[in-house]
Amino acid sequence: MIQTFKNVIGRGWTNFKRNRYLSLAATGVMSLSLILFLGLLSLQYVSTESIASLENKVDVSVYFKTDAPEDQILGVKSDLLAQADVLSVNYVSRDQALADFKARHSQDAMIEESLSLLDDNPLGASLDVKAKEFSQYASIADFLNNDKYKSIIEQVNFEENKGVIDSIANISNSIRNWGLTATFLLALIAVLVTFNTVRLTIFNQKQEIEIMRLVGASNWHIRGPYLMEGGFYGLFAAIISLVIFYPIVYLVSGKVSNFVEQVNLIQYFTDGALEVVLLTVFLGVALGVISSFIAIRKHLKV
Amino acid sequence: MIEFKNLTKIYEPNIVVLDNINLEIKKGEFVSLVGLSGAGKSTMMKMLTKEEKPTKGKVLIDKIDVDSIEGKEIPYFRRTIGTVYQDYKLLTAKTAYENVAFAMEVSDATKDDIAKDVPQILSIVGLADKSGNFPSQLSGGEKQRLAIARALIHRPKILLADEPTGNLDLVNSFDVVKLLLKINELGTTVILATHDTNIVNTIGRRVVSMDKGKIVKDQLENGRYVI
Repeated sequence: MIQTFKNVIGRGWTNFKRNRYLSLAATGVMSLSLILFLGLLSLQYVSTESIASLENKVDVSVYFKTDAPEDQILGVKSDLLAQADVLSVNYVSRDQALADFKARHSQDAMIEESLSLLDDNPLGASLDVKAKEFSQYASIADFLNNDKYKSIIEQVNFEENKGVIDSIANISNSIRNWGLTATFLLALIAVLVTFNTVRLTIFNQKQEIEIMRLVGASNWHIRGPYLMEGGFYGLFAAIISLVIFYPIVYLVSGKVSNFVEQVNLIQYFTDGALEVVLLTVFLGVALGVISSFIAIRKHLKV
Repeated sequence: MIEFKNLTKIYEPNIVVLDNINLEIKKGEFVSLVGLSGAGKSTMMKMLTKEEKPTKGKVLIDKIDVDSIEGKEIPYFRRTIGTVYQDYKLLTAKTAYENVAFAMEVSDATKDDIAKDVPQILSIVGLADKSGNFPSQLSGGEKQRLAIARALIHRPKILLADEPTGNLDLVNSFDVVKLLLKINELGTTVILATHDTNIVNTIGRRVVSMDKGKIVKDQLENGRYVI
């Protein structure tokens, strides 16, 4: 058994070496496919992170009337926290709101002056509500528009934010859907091109396969070395694509961070280096072996 | 024993290659199958190795219907039949030794067995001193003898030779035929398909003549080339 396996590896390796140019072509095509895959992985990461950072910036603010008693406002806060879809509620008291407002406009003499003319604090208290899921903002806004709170609530600014929220939701959905479709399509093209290249290399060895059948080699004996050869294509392609991909990530990472602060490509790919390497090698080898398996089937028909 | 029973092979739409063949070949016989190109000789050979399926009728080897042998049994079945072709079918990138060893490797032979059997079989066919040569460094006759060595490595019960002298000159042709006769003397059933009149007449054994997919004459002894 071990001897057979050694033979299979040995013959696969010999085939790989002897068909140098075809091996090079197949490995090259597979490297491109794998680089494409790694590129899509980065794109997916960047888009997910960008969407998350945009989503983080969105919240629903509830502004209370200036005469709303504080205990009722805190009552609304605890009602909100009891909701399953609410992540956090931040209470900004009237005094705090005024202090924030003053701090924001400390350079503006006119506003300072206008404020000093007023007898009372003109600002109401507010609650900043964050939802667990981006899609839950609408239901939170509905909850707040309840008749129960009408007497104390001045305004829920969901309607103003709704446009922004909707367009972010649209963008993130279409990035996810199109990203998935594009990944799938490109992967399909990669598989077809790889398959075709492997098929050519096997076609080139048609005579050898015929002779193997002639001398009574079992199908697995014939198939084994070719599957191994396909595996070698995949293994080398994985190594080549990783060697090309990591320096590119290193160069590009800083530039991407300039656009979206939260995105740190190089860290993402170094933290997950083991997974990325294993996944790429697995994909490469699987692609090679499966392509060979399909390509050789035709020649094994009795 | 080999039996062809009412064997018919029709290629679509209606090209009749073999037409109701009935033939029995006894164990250890040397049979020359003669006829013009297209008479159906090669197709009959292919029926024996299950490279072709009968449209009607049966091919039996030792009472076993060849058609009933299942997919994964076929390689083992083929090891019991040696085949030699006009175009040698040697692996050009392998040496004479490797070409024969290859046939053993695919049947899981150990390294020791390969090291023992290959030189022995190469010396039987007279190629002991050429074991390191590649096919391109061998003459036509030597190539065919190498192909015969490979066919014999599994010690087959039956040896099928399909026009083995087709590419050879007279002297080399006779060398190959002498080798086939020697193999036959050692107990292997040999079926030789040829259209070489001289060779058939020299062998002087059973001759089965074919024409347009039919057996037209069967001379059991001292046969001569007649169609």
